[in-house]
Amino acid sequence: MLNAISQAPPRKEEPERRFTDCWHAELVRPLSEMPGAFDLPVDAVSLMETEPLPENLNPARILYLDTETTGLSGGAGTLAFEVGLGRLMEDGFRITQLMIRDYPEEQFLLRRVLEAAGDCDALCTFNGRSFDLPLLRDRCLMNRLSPAPLEKPHIDLLHIARRVFRLRLKQCNLGRLEEAVLGFGRGDDLPGAQVPERFFSYLKTGEFALLEDVLRHNQQDIASLCILLNHMARMYQAPQLLDHDQDLYAMGHGLERHNHPEEARRCWELVHPGSLHAQSQLRLAQSLRRSGQAGEAAAIWQRMAEGREGGIVPWVELAKYYEHTLRDIPEALACARRALILLAEPGLPADASVQSEKNALQYRCARLRRKLKGRGTTSRPPEGPENEAGGTAWD
Amino acid sequence: MNVDQLAQVLRQDEAFMANVTRWETVPAREAQYGEDPEQLDPRLKPVLAGRGIHRLYTHQAHAIREVLAGHDVVVVTPTASGKTLCYNLPVLSAILQNPDARALYLFPTKALSADQVSELYELIEAMGVDIKTYTYDGDTPVAARRAVRQAGHIVVTNPDMLHSGILPHHTKWVKLFENLRYIIIDEIHTYRGVFGSNLANVLRRLMRLCEFYGSRPQFILCSATIANPKELAESLTGRPVTVVDDNGAPMGERHLVFYNPPVVNRQLGIRKGVIPETRMIAEMLLKNKIQTITFARSRVTVEVLTRYLKDAVRDPMGNAGRVRGYRGGYLPTQRREIERGLRAGQIDAVVSTNALELGIDIGALDACVLCGYPGTIASAWQQAGRAGRRRAASMVFFVASSAAIDQFIVTHPDYFLSASPEHALLNPDNIYVLLSHFKCAAFELPFEDGEGFGNAPSPDSLLDFLTQNHILRHVDGRYHWMAEDFPASEISLRSAASENFLIIDITDAAHHRVIGEMDRYTVPMLLHENAIYMHEGQQYQVEKLDFDACKAFIRQVDVGYYTDADLNVSLSPLEIEEEQQMGGMTASFGEVKVLSLVTMFKKIRFDTQETLGFGKVRLPETEMHTQAMWWTLPEALCVSLPSDRLKNGMLGVANLLRIVAPLYLMCSPADIAVLYQVKSPITDQPTVILYDNCPGGVGLSQKAFGMQEMLLEKCLEIVTDCPCPQGCPSCAGPVGEIGVDGKATAALILRRLLQCLRESGG
Repeated sequence: MLNAISQAPPRKEEPERRFTDCWHAELVRPLSEMPGAFDLPVDAVSLMETEPLPENLNPARILYLDTETTGLSGGAGTLAFEVGLGRLMEDGFRITQLMIRDYPEEQFLLRRVLEAAGDCDALCTFNGRSFDLPLLRDRCLMNRLSPAPLEKPHIDLLHIARRVFRLRLKQCNLGRLEEAVLGFGRGDDLPGAQVPERFFSYLKTGEFALLEDVLRHNQQDIASLCILLNHMARMYQAPQLLDHDQDLYAMGHGLERHNHPEEARRCWELVHPGSLHAQSQLRLAQSLRRSGQAGEAAAIWQRMAEGREGGIVPWVELAKYYEHTLRDIPEALACARRALILLAEPGLPADASVQSEKNALQYRCARLRRKLKGRGTTSRPPEGPENEAGGTAWD
Repeated sequence: MNVDQLAQVLRQDEAFMANVTRWETVPAREAQYGEDPEQLDPRLKPVLAGRGIHRLYTHQAHAIREVLAGHDVVVVTPTASGKTLCYNLPVLSAILQNPDARALYLFPTKALSADQVSELYELIEAMGVDIKTYTYDGDTPVAARRAVRQAGHIVVTNPDMLHSGILPHHTKWVKLFENLRYIIIDEIHTYRGVFGSNLANVLRRLMRLCEFYGSRPQFILCSATIANPKELAESLTGRPVTVVDDNGAPMGERHLVFYNPPVVNRQLGIRKGVIPETRMIAEMLLKNKIQTITFARSRVTVEVLTRYLKDAVRDPMGNAGRVRGYRGGYLPTQRREIERGLRAGQIDAVVSTNALELGIDIGALDACVLCGYPGTIASAWQQAGRAGRRRAASMVFFVASSAAIDQFIVTHPDYFLSASPEHALLNPDNIYVLLSHFKCAAFELPFEDGEGFGNAPSPDSLLDFLTQNHILRHVDGRYHWMAEDFPASEISLRSAASENFLIIDITDAAHHRVIGEMDRYTVPMLLHENAIYMHEGQQYQVEKLDFDACKAFIRQVDVGYYTDADLNVSLSPLEIEEEQQMGGMTASFGEVKVLSLVTMFKKIRFDTQETLGFGKVRLPETEMHTQAMWWTLPEALCVSLPSDRLKNGMLGVANLLRIVAPLYLMCSPADIAVLYQVKSPITDQPTVILYDNCPGGVGLSQKAFGMQEMLLEKCLEIVTDCPCPQGCPSCAGPVGEIGVDGKATAALILRRLLQCLRESGG
């Protein structure tokens, strides 16, 4: 190796090259490919994003962004050699592709990205929050440019889509979503893992054709971002459009976590009878109770209990409801007992969780009996709800 | 009895004193104080006073003054002299005065950094200020990393994490790099050889990034006593460094006892074993409740001694928690527990490998027993330094084994007491090391035309080499990274630490548990199937070694023996770089491939040390590429000797080189290896080979190649001056190993080689 290094011929004097801009191209996709993009239901977008979005966000002020990079492992030596930007225009969806033909062009590419980002109200990416944006910020830093224009409200479709589809689709990459959600496939698309190698080969050979697949791949990514955002927003706006109970259930879950209980309940109500129905009904009832509609919740538990749906949970919940809300101790005891009877049914596995449920219920029954007795002798008026020793669900 | 009383009793014990070759008493030393540096933030003084520190020792005051004057400093003082204040005070002062200021602390091991953080926390807490100190290493939870990067005033890490976790991701650490004021590197004497060469390059990368972010941090380094702290500090940092070594810490009286086990067979020159003699002395200290640390050279010896000492104190319930073993391979939690026990005085005796040589805080102990010479003078002082209270007397026993170097030291205590400790050598420009880090540096930030890499030689040729191999692209005056790889993941800073094996106890079938780990290079020696593996004195037998999954499965046993594996080493050339023909002999230097293979092991009975039997080991070879130099013997000499004599003579020469070379190359004996081959695959001739015992080499054999005559002369001197008739462990080797004519033949070979050298004017 020593020899190999000392014998490396000194570099040839390269012809002086001047770098004044990066490669860039524009194309416009017809609006028919993304129907209704201008009527994006912006309210629905704020339902799915946790980051606050500007009020009355104009769909034409969203910048769609996707990068192609020289490596996936990260670190300061990785850069974005291509950036695709998408923007809705009166005459169509305009895709601007910026690419470096050699390293010195990076600063021009970044300047153009910053300029475009400065002139928008929100960014929309797929996994940009943890990949594209941090990378671009790092590259600005390395090129001594201020990344401030990139600090815009950010709609990251990976997180949004994963929240809704992860129950049904194991993988949530963009290609898979196009197939399973948007209903179109990509024919001979370049696998993402081959992208860096294409760029390096191009640098070595200067054959621009090597990059055409990359550019096509990136164009499709950008277009899909716009279509997917629109699609997701419509689903949020009208969950009844969702065909799969799994998606409805998961969407409800996400909405609830981000503090949209009413919208969450709308999703759970729509779940059809089937494997997720009981779970959805329970979530629905719990959400109702939390928002102070205990009576409506109780009606659901009652219906479930009568329909023998949801195991012991509806009975336990009813027991709590009768005890704490209606202060009807005899009825509460009756419900707790029904739950115990259910647990005693043959066929249930005698595992630890069943045993601990049993213990908790027996404890509850004993407590209710004590309460019943105590009231009988002292005839005190009912007091405020007690602290439940095992109180798991009354949260 | 306390130390003073025991020392008095021992001095009157004639049987004991008959084996003592020297009893050196170092008088107590008073504390010496220096002028308090004025520029330190005034908030620090009351905090120090609250911890009983009213004045700074001379070296502390001196170091701080130099630092505040803007110099890079290396502080060289013995263990427990309060060197941490030398860096903590300037760092805290700087952050108190400018909350944006940042400091980076580097410790060679995670254990040391954990130790340091807790000490810093105490100081910061006592001041009640908001200075955030964080440890950033492999154990830092991902969720906490962001906070460390953004807000940590003091980031404590190790070279490995800096190399692969921080530098390649420098854009995430902008705050740190922009405001870096101090870089603290403790225990720099551990950074020699490959590890040091790697660190020097990691620091080159770090300084390059600091320059990019516009900071120019100062270095504060700390070292144990070595011969060349200045040289080491300067080759690590690539900057001129001021040495501070005026130690002002007080020290109680110290007794240094050189003990040579008695001869049991005068004809063969065999002495009583070093292990039983160490056991005798350690038990004596233990019975007197004198808190003792015993250092042994191998993990096996540590375990054997731990077992003996535990047996000596076992209570009726079988507990012996007052005696503990300590070595690499124990789990971190267990090691922390032992360290705490030592500090709190709950543990009376600990037996350790050199793992406790570093500055892990175990408090000061009363006595130290060295079971054999640890290999270097620096290491011996470092271990001895573990015993030594500031106010009370302490004792150090050096128990010699029959190894030549031990015998030399114990019979020449003056040499040991007056010799300067070894040089710590490193070679930041080792081409393997340099090229790897050069790639990392190019990944982190493009090189510009004419840019240097620290003081590395000819960066241009490296840039051209990488450009040619399409790893870099040269365009418009800069070299850009053009590969998908993440280069930092391709190098491990400590060559051996890359892959650890887990040691799993399967005694309880329902509950397997991991009791330790071991590096790949040691596994074939200690964890081959059927080996008796000892952990904290408990014996286990290795049932299965899964080499691919890096796991060893062991089961508790109780047998009266332990095992010792035989290592076979073979060597073949890769490239000859220099060659000198001299009167029939050839001296060469180049790159070689070293293959190590364990093929069998011995079962050795406890107490009597007799060999009970043998077993086979079937394991893959381990391979290492390194640098070597070798002598091919003159053919005329070889044909004149019967093959048996030739072989014995070469073995004698190899043994002599093993003694002499480390002394003149100024390295630890473990850093080099010497082999002989009667028919070498390199030369097809009888050949004696000396090689660097680490991947890539650090330049030791190259240095040996340049001082052949001196090495051969010294070997000849030892063998001719030695009064033994036919060889002994202190010269060419014992008769049993080299035969009756081995010594004379070794001398003959050495004379011939010297003659060849001189005739050709080499």
